Amino acid sequence: MGVCSGGLLTLIGAGTVYPIFRFLSPLSVDSHGAKVAISLENLPEGEAKFFEFQGRAAVLIKRKNGNLSLLSAVCTHLGCIVKWEKEKEEFLCPCHGGRFSPDGTVLGGPPPKPLEQLPFVVKDGSVNVG
Amino acid sequence: MNPVTFIYDWIDRRIGLNDLTAKYLTGYLLPRNINIWYSMGSILLLIFGVQVLTGILLLVYYSPSIETAFKSITFIMNQVPFGWLIRTCHAVGANMMVLFLLIHMISVIFMGSYKAPREFNWLSGFGLLNMVFGICLTGYLLPWSQLSFWATTVATSGAGSVPFIGEYILEFVRGGKLVGAPTLGRFFVLHVIVLPAGIAGLIGIHLFLLQRTGVSTPPSYDGPVEHWKGEQYEYEKHPDGIPFFPHFLVQDLVANCIYAIFFFAIVFFVPNIFFPAEAFFPANPFETPAHIKPEWYFLPNYQVLKIFPNEFIGLIVQGIAMTFLAALPFIDIWPKRNFLKRPLFLTCVMLGIFTFIGLMIWGHFS
Ligand code: HEM
Ligand code: FES
Repeated sequence: MGVCSGGLLTLIGAGTVYPIFRFLSPLSVDSHGAKVAISLENLPEGEAKFFEFQGRAAVLIKRKNGNLSLLSAVCTHLGCIVKWEKEKEEFLCPCHGGRFSPDGTVLGGPPPKPLEQLPFVVKDGSVNVG
Repeated sequence: MNPVTFIYDWIDRRIGLNDLTAKYLTGYLLPRNINIWYSMGSILLLIFGVQVLTGILLLVYYSPSIETAFKSITFIMNQVPFGWLIRTCHAVGANMMVLFLLIHMISVIFMGSYKAPREFNWLSGFGLLNMVFGICLTGYLLPWSQLSFWATTVATSGAGSVPFIGEYILEFVRGGKLVGAPTLGRFFVLHVIVLPAGIAGLIGIHLFLLQRTGVSTPPSYDGPVEHWKGEQYEYEKHPDGIPFFPHFLVQDLVANCIYAIFFFAIVFFVPNIFFPAEAFFPANPFETPAHIKPEWYFLPNYQVLKIFPNEFIGLIVQGIAMTFLAALPFIDIWPKRNFLKRPLFLTCVMLGIFTFIGLMIWGHFS
């Protein structure tokens, strides 16, 4: 009797909790926005373009010398989004003043690691990621 | 000492749990022959709980604006895991709420338990009935489908027939001349906070009153009862009754399980029974669908408005019927309760029920 009703209660409980848990679980992000293509035409030299890639912030920069680099825009210290300082050609994190070079290496401040580089290919005047 | 008993004891010494169980569970005696109809209230509590739970979950994804409402519902139905289940439970549950409210009310009428000293139980119940109708009406608009839009247009238009101030009332209810974004805003607030809070509060009052008067004895009971005599406050005791716990708690649980089987049978096998085709198209204010009908429980009101040449007369007739229902314990003041021994009463009740069902069927086919 005790085992039966205990089992039944567990069953009802699981049957209620599981759908609710799944309902509230974050939807997987890789189904949409797995690939991103950014046209280089409207990206002048020295400018940066921020965009979303697989649910995270990324940034594409075209340096004054024409070189491209593609990085995660998430600061490796506590996760703020870095800003592009056009004149100095470096990244500044507004949260605690971390500084990064255009290829992601740490120039100063608290960040422990460089910004993550993301692989990309250039095709027909646009940058393809993913 | 085992840790559970230890914790229980620790709490008990402070707030008196044993005292509570003795008063409300093991020492709470109910008449021996309480029947299945006395479990309708507990089924209603279950339904209300499920509505609150599924409603909170729907709010996680629902977005109350005329651009996004329909899309967010479609998203819940097609994309969110188990979204279809949560939403179907909420929609079917709303219909069950009304159905079981009517069953509860009719059984209270048949057993004569609305009579003195339970006028307040009846009145609080009548208040609940109206609020539940309100929460159904406001919830119907939220998906912003063709059905929502036009059913709300029809349902609110009746208010416009009141002489002199009708136009103003109508505009006030809709927040504009027509159903639109302002209507969605106010219906949303009513549906998710004002009415649920009001219903929860009134359920509290309803149960408090039940505790104060004591559960009514079924009319056919022949054991000893201490009935209210009318001179002073008296709790209706049942000296040779059976404790609520475990006997009647199990009886209530059995009733709840039977309800759950009925409920899930609808949710899993006929989930669209309450969704006509118009529910699957987004609202279009420039195109009225051909056969727009309100939900089954509003069909009698709808038909009454159609029968009378003037909508305002139809409204007055409904008002009189509702006032009569609310005032029932003050009109029927005879103490006799067994309906089998009250032919005139029985005739009136049956006529009332047949009229209601008849109007519903007529409204459906008209
Ligand atoms: C949200 C809706 C409602 C809930 C949750 C609810 C709940 C309950 C519960 C738990 C009981 C005690 C058990 C029982 O006799 O069934 C009860 C009794 C009662 N209800 Fe309701 N009820 C609701 C609506 C109504 C309505 C619409 C009416 C009538 C207009 C009504 C009239 C009564 C009366 C007169 C009693 C006392 C019956 C007795 O003492 O035997 N209730 N209700
Ligand atoms: S988060 Fe970027 S420096 Fe602290």
